[in-house]
Amino acid sequence: MSLKSYSRARSVHVMLVYTGGCNGCDIEIVNCIFSPKYDAEQYKIFLTWNPREADVLVVTGPVTKHNEQPLREIYKAIPEPKAVIAAGACALMGGVYKNINGDIPSEEIMGPVDKIIPVDAKVPGCAVRPEDVLAGAVAALPKLLNAK
Amino acid sequence: MDEDNKVTKKQVIETEVPLGTVHSAAIEPYRVRLFVEDEIVKDAEITVGVNHRGVERIMEGLPVEKANSLTEKICGICSNSHIWNSVLVAEKALGIEVPERALYIRIIMEELERLHSHMLYLAHGSEVLGHETFAMRIFYIRETVMELLRMIGGNRVQYGVPIIGGIRPRAELDLMRIQKIKDGMDFVEEKITEFAERFVSDPMVMSRITGVGILKKEDAIRLSATGPTLRATGVDIDLRRDMPEYESFEFNVITQDDGDVKANILVRVLEIPESIKIIRQAIDHLPEGKITNRSWDMEDSPVTNNYIEVPRGKLYHSYSLDDGRVRNVIIRTPSITNIGAMEYACIGYHITDAQLAIVQCDPCFTCTDRAIKIIQI
Repeated sequence: MSLKSYSRARSVHVMLVYTGGCNGCDIEIVNCIFSPKYDAEQYKIFLTWNPREADVLVVTGPVTKHNEQPLREIYKAIPEPKAVIAAGACALMGGVYKNINGDIPSEEIMGPVDKIIPVDAKVPGCAVRPEDVLAGAVAALPKLLNAK
Repeated sequence: MDEDNKVTKKQVIETEVPLGTVHSAAIEPYRVRLFVEDEIVKDAEITVGVNHRGVERIMEGLPVEKANSLTEKICGICSNSHIWNSVLVAEKALGIEVPERALYIRIIMEELERLHSHMLYLAHGSEVLGHETFAMRIFYIRETVMELLRMIGGNRVQYGVPIIGGIRPRAELDLMRIQKIKDGMDFVEEKITEFAERFVSDPMVMSRITGVGILKKEDAIRLSATGPTLRATGVDIDLRRDMPEYESFEFNVITQDDGDVKANILVRVLEIPESIKIIRQAIDHLPEGKITNRSWDMEDSPVTNNYIEVPRGKLYHSYSLDDGRVRNVIIRTPSITNIGAMEYACIGYHITDAQLAIVQCDPCFTCTDRAIKIIQI
């Protein structure tokens, strides 16, 4: 393991972007970092709100119309190497709001996330469980560590 | 510009500080425009609409059971309140009697949800204050409540306990579950008392939150604030006292007089033991019997509405039933009536207090984005 990947593995900064879900996933992800029961900080995963110091972008929610452009800009602002985790049923396939095969498909939803930005790891669940978020973060790590 | 000033007689403030829609201080996407003069906020404007998903539109024409479970997805914090109120509307429209046992279990769920919502508010408030240790301690206590909710409903966030006529069979309480709830309540009460004592005896925190973001009683009433935000200004109002569901429970309505951040935090801290009291009464007097009333028929009904008291205030749902399908859905959540209070609480304080003054009203912007703006062409 090179010095670069050794040090990268010891400070993974996660940025949480909320694109119009129901708050459930966001609270579970914040819970997963702050709550002493899960405490992602012991694995050197830190929560940040600044895209320029982030390594991993966690996206929740189905991406509403107004959130599409900000999401692209945030993705551009994150320095390489970067990884994206889509968390929750809404981020993966639009959730209940996309109303797939429903009577009235919603016009407000631009998602799912992988239509807009490339996604490296997917975390299922409605709402996601903190254990799964940790597993997703671990699944996205090789991309960061193996980058030149 | 000059013409406009003559009409409105408003002072034009040049310096504007926009926050959002994605900002480090706000977890949810919303936009705040702060108009400042010498670092003092002179005016504030909150814009919502970023989260709009059109749940009412998706609900239109769905079978009523499906629509009820969709209301749960409006908010991940007070999901049980939404599904409960939506189910109550249907029960009111069809005239369904709910068994006593189901009613008690619904109330246990609602009060557990109030506990976790208030604790989330305390954790979020502590984080905005910059006191991360308090936030972590509160998350530690909150985890017990989340585990209880998962035990009863099967999911940590959206539990889906009420159905039309009663509750889901999954949520039936037996002796083991009752014992777990009792133990959990003892733990939460002990820990939250410790936390409250620690919190009010911390001079640094208290000096930061006292006298910041004051909302006067008259202003709160004029701006139609609701829930704990209104109770923190000294108005003794709680819909739970008038709800028929809460008739057999005894609890106190907590009020504070100051209307600042301290009063808002204290109202929520002191409401936690009251909720624990209600849960204990419900467990001690849990009636025997069935949990679902299946003897009802679907009928058409005109628009029916219902109000309940949820952790953030008053929640309104209304819809009509047509051939078993839902029509004309209107949902009004407490955060949308609190927006005026949030804007008003920032005015006159330093710009660094603005976020705190907004957070003190416990905003939930995912609930708020309900209405569609109709533009006249």
